[in-house]
Amino acid sequence: MDYQKYIRNFSIIAHIDHGKSTLADRIIENTGLVAHRDMKEQFLDNMDLERERGITIKLQTSRLVYKAKDGNEYIFNLIDTPGHVDFTYEVSRSLAACEGAVLVVDATQGVEAQTMANVYLALDEDLEIVPCLNKIDLASARPEETKEEIEELIGIDCEEAPLVSAKEGIGIEDLLEAVVHTVPAPSGDADGKLKALIFDSVYDNYKGVVIYTRIFDGQVKVGDTIRLMNTKKKYEVTEVGVMAPGHVPTKALRAGEVGYIVASIKQVRDARVGDTITMDNDPCDETLPGYKKVQSMVYCGIYPAEGEKYEGVKDALEKLQVNDAAFLFEPETSTALGFGFRCGFLGLLHMEIIVERLEREFGLAVVTTSPSVVYKVVLNDGSEQMIQNPTNLPDQTEIHHIEEPIVKADIMIPKEYTGAIMELCQERRGTMLHMEYVAGNRVQLHYELPLNEVIYDFFDALKSKTRGYGSLDYEFIRYERSQLVKLDVLLNKDLVDAFSMIVHESKAYNRGRFVCEKLKEIIPMHQFEVPIQAAIGQKVIARETVRAYRKDVIAKCYGGDISRKKKLLEKQKEGKKRMRQFGKVEVPQEAFTAVLKYDDNK
Amino acid sequence: MKKLGIYIHVPFCLAKCKYCGFYSHGGATDAEQAAYVESLVNDIEEYGRVYGEEYIVDTVFIGGGTPSILPSPYIGEILDCVRYHFTVADDAEISMESNPKTLTYENLLAYREAGVNRLSIGVQSLDDDCLKALGRVHTAADFRRNFIMAREAGFDNINMDLMFAIPGHTPETWEKTLDEAIALGPEHISFYSLQIEEGTPFYDMYRRGEFDQVPDDIDREMYHLAIKKLKEAGYDHYEISNAARPGRECRHNLKYWSMEDYLGIGPSASSYMKGIRFAEAPFMEFHENTFEDETSEFVFTGLRKTSGIFFDDFRERFGRDFWDVFGDRREELVPYIESGQLVETEEGLRLSEEGFDISNAIMAVFV
Repeated sequence: MDYQKYIRNFSIIAHIDHGKSTLADRIIENTGLVAHRDMKEQFLDNMDLERERGITIKLQTSRLVYKAKDGNEYIFNLIDTPGHVDFTYEVSRSLAACEGAVLVVDATQGVEAQTMANVYLALDEDLEIVPCLNKIDLASARPEETKEEIEELIGIDCEEAPLVSAKEGIGIEDLLEAVVHTVPAPSGDADGKLKALIFDSVYDNYKGVVIYTRIFDGQVKVGDTIRLMNTKKKYEVTEVGVMAPGHVPTKALRAGEVGYIVASIKQVRDARVGDTITMDNDPCDETLPGYKKVQSMVYCGIYPAEGEKYEGVKDALEKLQVNDAAFLFEPETSTALGFGFRCGFLGLLHMEIIVERLEREFGLAVVTTSPSVVYKVVLNDGSEQMIQNPTNLPDQTEIHHIEEPIVKADIMIPKEYTGAIMELCQERRGTMLHMEYVAGNRVQLHYELPLNEVIYDFFDALKSKTRGYGSLDYEFIRYERSQLVKLDVLLNKDLVDAFSMIVHESKAYNRGRFVCEKLKEIIPMHQFEVPIQAAIGQKVIARETVRAYRKDVIAKCYGGDISRKKKLLEKQKEGKKRMRQFGKVEVPQEAFTAVLKYDDNK
Repeated sequence: MKKLGIYIHVPFCLAKCKYCGFYSHGGATDAEQAAYVESLVNDIEEYGRVYGEEYIVDTVFIGGGTPSILPSPYIGEILDCVRYHFTVADDAEISMESNPKTLTYENLLAYREAGVNRLSIGVQSLDDDCLKALGRVHTAADFRRNFIMAREAGFDNINMDLMFAIPGHTPETWEKTLDEAIALGPEHISFYSLQIEEGTPFYDMYRRGEFDQVPDDIDREMYHLAIKKLKEAGYDHYEISNAARPGRECRHNLKYWSMEDYLGIGPSASSYMKGIRFAEAPFMEFHENTFEDETSEFVFTGLRKTSGIFFDDFRERFGRDFWDVFGDRREELVPYIESGQLVETEEGLRLSEEGFDISNAIMAVFV
């Protein structure tokens, strides 16, 4: 298969902030695909939100043409990967579509936990690693030490590793040459039975679902009837092509190539990442390994804010869902918040992104309830229930025990923060598996942690306790029996279900106190005292009181004051409108988010 | 003929006080003052051409700032100008604001001569610690001298502005100030709870957490104490922060709370003329009130008066029944009516003393 000789399929893997996206931009620029003046910063991160947060959420793939020093033109399929712990599975499937990976390590920072995690994922897929050191232009760069660190930690030779500065455009040529020489050309039988990997799928308003795929064997063209082997669904192909970038139709996609397929698929859920595409009338024998149905790990309620329409939120959630297979939602009702939706996410970041998109892209005001993991509740009669919403927890007397999800967390930190982070993990009910000293004065801690301790703000705490140097990677391992209780919040003696949460018994008191204090800050004074209570069952464990206000009056109101004071009254009235009324108590929307921002130091 | 109140703004002061959010400058040269008065005179002339034929002026209020900082002939010039371009009623109330330390017997006589018949003195407190805390440049003794001089100069209608809930203020020191004020026997007393306005030094202190704020319950204790003592001394409490001997209510200020026309002249001065609110730079504004604006302003300004609003007045003014317009707010008002903070009678609605404490919440229902 001669055409394959000039194809290189690769990803770039890096820790967040190590400059992956900037490097991708430089590569695209250097291969002459996009003129410099047309480049937006970080070409591959195409959502504004991604650019703002400096992370890639949704994969983008580009087909580039590189004229190498050997005189040949090579086709580079650059498959970008998302850069956050919530998206490990998507990363692994992108890597599975490649023969090699460029490992970007920030020469000022060295190897970090997520770098390691991604390297392991790449090694799992037998990829050739092309190491390169970035940010070489900075005075604080220490390329030699970083090389040693990579050699020691990952065991790959860094002798020839290109030294680059993606920002300044230094060393890009060297890197592209290294890709040509180190990353193997794809192999695969173009005449064999079709076997292709879905490594991403997106929804397009005009075409329906667009599958991004790597063809391993065989070929696919318009008119073929393909079968998605895991979902067992059939579709007729209406378009195939390559990302140049943007969709450029071609006659066919052949073994070794990367491209897209359009086949009138309605929802991204039907074209799941990791699924295997084959020909319906001539299927291959087995699916590609590694397929997983992604599981939502974190759930929360999303409700239309006061004055916002239920249907509007529903439409927006539907639109988001067609493009995000990992995002689930179903209607639910809360006595406090009315009609809304229970939504499932890969993790807390995923949740924050969805909520932010609802607000920004759809202009909706929503209220989110406390995020929760999925608990396994074993009842006295031996039956099991999976509970995502604390409100649905069966009565205490019916419960035999509750199990919670446990994750394995790999935490990489500079040595000096070991004590602080061990304390943090301890405090979050972690069990240390082992720790190892790694080069560059670093320590890698391996812990088992209950997921519900990780979802609140573990990542923020890790960052703040390590001055930003700590990094985290985690994956679900099992359910484990635990002493969990349902913590309720009562305002003016009335239970507000939207505040209920499931917490470990040992944490209930602190958390209850925190929530009461926070609500005390946020709930405005009323004309009467408002008691705020946190309770487990009938037992009140924390209490605060919002004092009654005694004075709300404009002392002076003369000629020039009337317009201004009227605006003040209008504002007051508007503020009141944005409140949620619970019994006689008015609660601002932001109360629901504020109680999530758990601060240990309080 | 329709009646009109004219407000004339004098934006000069000896020094800017720490709580003051009005448009004013400390210190102005003679030339600046002269130029200012000239522009005022031009404005009065211009407004006179527009409105002079239509209205009879029954109140004039020279405020500030500190109008008494101007050399007294200027006050005469301004009022002469008003009388030249407008018809001023014989019994018009002509008020002027002043501050202790700017008043002398000579200029008091000159104000009388110019036609000023009501003098308002911004004393704020008769406690020197309080005065210092406010950044005032005078003492209680300065005021006492001024008050006596004003009486001697023939002012038989004097207002004292007082302030409470000043940082460091206690109900005891406040009571002393009230007692002394009542003993002096002014015809009118305004008593304001200190308000922290944006853009003032107090506001900055407040933001920095350095402002020693009197707690709300103490503030209210002082407020109700003032009403009690003033009533006992024979004053009528007629507006949230104002009390007067019967018949000595400030007729000019009452226009603000009764939606009567008034014309403001000078920078930042506001006017309400024929349903249009407008203000001069730098607080430039022009707004033609809608029916909703008119009715809501009628209610929220009217409720500042202890007499409240009368359904008959409402009907006469707007041609509709009050509850016909505001019926949909009734439910929101019920808790306030039940608590006695809002009093509903056959004739109208009014706030009780307790209602004043939280009047914003009730007024906000109507905006």
